[in-house]
Amino acid sequence: MAQPPPRHATVLSLSNSNSNSNLSNASTAIDRPHSSQTHMPTPSTSSTGLRVPSNRKTIYDRHLNRSRNAELSRASFAFLFAEMVTYAQRRVTGIQDLERRLNEQGYPLGLRLLDLLFYRTVSGSTSSSLSSSSSTSASPPNRPLRILPLLHLIHGPLWRLLFNRPADALEHSVSPETPNEYMITDNDPLVNTYISVPKEMSMLNCAAFVAGMIEGVCDGCGFEAKVTAHNQPTEMWPSRTIFLLRFGESVMEREKVLERAGVK
Amino acid sequence: MTSPGDAAPVKPPPSFSPGVPRVASKTRYPNQRRDSSPSLDADLTESRVVSPPPPLPATTSELPIRSASPRTPSFRSSTPQLARSSLGSPVDGRFEGSEEIRSLIIRSFSPVVGVYASADTDELARQKGFAGGFWQLIRPFGENIPGKLVIRDSVGASRSWEDYGVRFVDLGNNNQGLPESGGRNSPLAHLEEVLEKQLGSLDDPLGGSLFPKDFLGFPSTSPLYKLYLRQLLSIASAAPHETFRHPVASVIAISSRNTAPLETLRRLYADTNNGNKKMPDWIHPEYLRYYLLVHDEDRDDITESTKLYDQMKRHFGLHCHLLRLRSNQCVVTDDDSVQVPECEWLSPSERLFGRTEPLVDLDTGGLPHVFESDVMAIKAFVRELVAQSVVPYMENRVAVWNDQVASRRRGISGRFMSMSRRWAGFGSGSRSSLTSGGASGNYDIAHGYYRYDTPEAVLRKMADFAFMLRDWKLSASTYELLRSDYANDKAWKYHAGAYEMSAVSMLLSPSSLGTKVKIDGIDQILETATYSYLTRCSDAPNALRCLTLAMELLKSRGGSAVESAARWAMRVMDQGLVGSIGQGLFSERISACFAARNPAPGVNWGSRRRKAGMWSVFAADLWLRLGKPSLASAALEEAERLYADVLHGDGAFTMPEMQTFVDNLRHAVKVEYLEARGLDLRDETATAAALGTDETSEQLDRRKNRKSLIVKPLDSGIGPTQGMRDNDNAADDDFERA
Amino acid sequence: MSYYFTILSPTDVPLFNIAFGTSKSGGDGIARFRFPDTAQYMNQFIIHSSLDIVEEAQWMNGNMYLKHIDTYPPASAYISAFLTPSGARFLLLHQPPQLPNTGSATGAGGGGGSSGSILGGSFSASALGSSRASASSIAANPTSPQTEEAVRQFMTEVYENYVKTVMSPFYRQGMEIRSAVFRSRVTAAGRKWL
Repeated sequence: MAQPPPRHATVLSLSNSNSNSNLSNASTAIDRPHSSQTHMPTPSTSSTGLRVPSNRKTIYDRHLNRSRNAELSRASFAFLFAEMVTYAQRRVTGIQDLERRLNEQGYPLGLRLLDLLFYRTVSGSTSSSLSSSSSTSASPPNRPLRILPLLHLIHGPLWRLLFNRPADALEHSVSPETPNEYMITDNDPLVNTYISVPKEMSMLNCAAFVAGMIEGVCDGCGFEAKVTAHNQPTEMWPSRTIFLLRFGESVMEREKVLERAGVK
Repeated sequence: MTSPGDAAPVKPPPSFSPGVPRVASKTRYPNQRRDSSPSLDADLTESRVVSPPPPLPATTSELPIRSASPRTPSFRSSTPQLARSSLGSPVDGRFEGSEEIRSLIIRSFSPVVGVYASADTDELARQKGFAGGFWQLIRPFGENIPGKLVIRDSVGASRSWEDYGVRFVDLGNNNQGLPESGGRNSPLAHLEEVLEKQLGSLDDPLGGSLFPKDFLGFPSTSPLYKLYLRQLLSIASAAPHETFRHPVASVIAISSRNTAPLETLRRLYADTNNGNKKMPDWIHPEYLRYYLLVHDEDRDDITESTKLYDQMKRHFGLHCHLLRLRSNQCVVTDDDSVQVPECEWLSPSERLFGRTEPLVDLDTGGLPHVFESDVMAIKAFVRELVAQSVVPYMENRVAVWNDQVASRRRGISGRFMSMSRRWAGFGSGSRSSLTSGGASGNYDIAHGYYRYDTPEAVLRKMADFAFMLRDWKLSASTYELLRSDYANDKAWKYHAGAYEMSAVSMLLSPSSLGTKVKIDGIDQILETATYSYLTRCSDAPNALRCLTLAMELLKSRGGSAVESAARWAMRVMDQGLVGSIGQGLFSERISACFAARNPAPGVNWGSRRRKAGMWSVFAADLWLRLGKPSLASAALEEAERLYADVLHGDGAFTMPEMQTFVDNLRHAVKVEYLEARGLDLRDETATAAALGTDETSEQLDRRKNRKSLIVKPLDSGIGPTQGMRDNDNAADDDFERA
Repeated sequence: MSYYFTILSPTDVPLFNIAFGTSKSGGDGIARFRFPDTAQYMNQFIIHSSLDIVEEAQWMNGNMYLKHIDTYPPASAYISAFLTPSGARFLLLHQPPQLPNTGSATGAGGGGGSSGSILGGSFSASALGSSRASASSIAANPTSPQTEEAVRQFMTEVYENYVKTVMSPFYRQGMEIRSAVFRSRVTAAGRKWL
């Protein structure tokens, strides 16, 4: 069986919509804010009590690519994200707890982004609607089976979807004791642009939210991992952040087996 | 022995209690188990013969032991003792798992040695209590040659075998085991009947049985299945298309009572050569003659016999033996009495009608006894016969035929010859040769056989010899050589047989053929064999044998071959080759095939646990339909064990309809099981009492619990991440308040 | 051809089930499985057992559509699989219509008739046996490239709708999909491609 994702259902719908706005602000945008917030044809209501919108259009009638190039104001994102941090800060016991909460908010987003990302790559490459597919056999992207392809997926396409640019660096731990550690560097994470952390909380990095998203992506692909965000400021990049990915034991075992089997 | 009356509380086997942790049941019965095991042992020997009502406590307390620790091998320890129980086969427990089955298959293709004894020799044996004569006396000893036996293969490499044997058939009285008059209407029906009988004798009258406890003998095989396999492989009688049942040698025996020994020997020889015991045209008449003088220790003078023996050696050469036996009947109470081992290879009809069956002789307590000295003498004789005469003779024949016939066919010219043979018809333009498709003309279409001296027949004999000498590489290549010849001649049964044995040889030969390609190739060969057997010859027994062999050998190969094995087993069921009991057995076998596939190391894929579990559930359903709730319960337990690794939580299926089905099945098995024991299930209180109250309540609890687990994922959608939910809710509240 | 389509979560929990028949070549879109109506659990057993293969294929092949991966010969049931990147499994069981009793039991021994066993309805046409017979009618051949392509199209269309479902803020991973709209979308996709 597949790895049971450790926590699939952590974040609530509302925090989702929050995070959506945040993304839209990054001018890559998802269409979900429009569709999901305006219509409520949802599975959680029983099928009889489905409220169909007056224009008879449900989310299923909307195209997923429609808003892929839509832009939202960075100010509204900043405001929303600030609210999220405030929200997460309630009743937390410390910095670690706060980061965990932010991480949990990001996690389900990662899972969803994964599906959306693949969907967009498929339909984007055929440049036409999928359902009307002219059966062009543009080969769909592969699910990542090994760690490296997964990291490239995060470093490239995922970052582009979220922030409209790839991440700045991708590194493997040099220490022989920790072959399961990888690092993705963002020199100037968008989420931290408008946040200055108080001195007494200097360890805090609000990019824990992004770390949560990465974790969701890894888990969704079947790579059990813990992802954390760490401050690594430099002269030139004061808010430089390193995302540390630590893959689980089972992942490393599988990696060896797949390597022997010649799976790329 | 415990009588059913002693057994007051009837506990259901653990599979009845859905999801009860198995560890718990282990502690529940400890005292009963201890109490009952001696009685169990005591019963076993008798149960074969008179089938006493199975002791209740024994059965019920056995069951939990089995399931006590599903994933540890500890419960395997109970199998050796039990395996012996139901069939009393002399070989059980000698091998483990697939090796055992493999050995069984190899031993089923043992050389046949005819026994042709003079009347006085048979009389001597009858005096000893063997109504079937001398043949019956030595028969069981041929099946297992004591000690190692060294066989040289065609390239001169030697290999020693511990499980070699020969099969003695009676050439004297009724030609048993040799050309059948076709009187047996349907061997498969007999086979099913034997199984029915076996099941009945152990399963009735109480519905409980001694059986199921063996069934979980993971990874070894259920004794019922082994019985089935042995029976299936014993069906074959001498037939033109394969020579396994043609005599390789023949023992010509006289006793020291004979007044004209040399003349009798000559006469007996003449009988087998061209007299009334002459073989049909398709059996090679040149086989090894072995001359045996049986000396009567109780009445005759050994010096006389020794003199006669020397005379025999002068006349007949080296293939002679002097066997010293006592002619007095031995009774159990004698000091050095030894029970004759049971024959392992009785054909289904022999088992059914007991023509020569020693088992039905109740007076002597089943099997007759002989003196230990006799046993030693017979064993020594058989060993000498096989090691010094039969095997060297076969080795020699293989070498000669290989040189004279096979190599010529194998070489370039041989191939060319077969080509020209094939196309000769066009040159001559003769209509008749065209219709026979360029056949060699060696095949007697009217009677459906090749004469023994045609190259096709000789090659087949050589291949079979090589096969029986366990030189599978040579036999495989020879069968391969033959396949096209038979096809050209449209000798379909030969054709099917050659394909069958070529696949079996390939599977047996130790060279590795792990690659997918080779398995695919074997699948093709099997496909052809089955098609020829079934569609062209309507020969269901052989088709069944072919597929069963294929399944077992593929299974023993392991790896991806087990899936092929399972597919062939499904094919058997699908073609309706087996009866209702066979269906159950094959379902279990398919499950075992899938279970034999282990996950790849370090990862969680590669096993076929779900498939194995599924087939066990099906087997349970089939057993239940047959009214064998105890077998069904064993199969259910097996299913539980197999599913344990793949199901989350407490062993509930995530799919609701599956769960419902399994729940219903469990319930039905429980009801039938208890009803078979005379309990009225409709009376709920009685049942509860019978089950023991604590157990009942636990059962209910578990069920509720499980249901909630099933429902939850569907209702709330949080199945796997329940742990996080609390967290989540807390956050939710927080937000609401904010 | 009859179809049973199911979506399983990464932990094997069924999120969505639907049974339908072909609408091609005059089909009325109603599923007619070889099992009796009381034995619909068979579909689930077969699907469940094919997960053994899915789990293996999942790591050997990075495609989302894994094609035809498993067969249950006694009932001629074929399983095709599609994996979403986030770990949900789309499994489609397809079963050609029951052929009139063709090459079944040839002179089997006593009591060889297998009765309507649970193992697959009448148990008559095996995968191996029937492949010969059904090869003539291409539409009913479950392993032909055309079928593969049609199933791929179907899966991709369901995937699109699945992504939309997943994007809904009211949907959480592992939750059963109960939207009537989703169901009608899947039905439509089935009608269109299968």
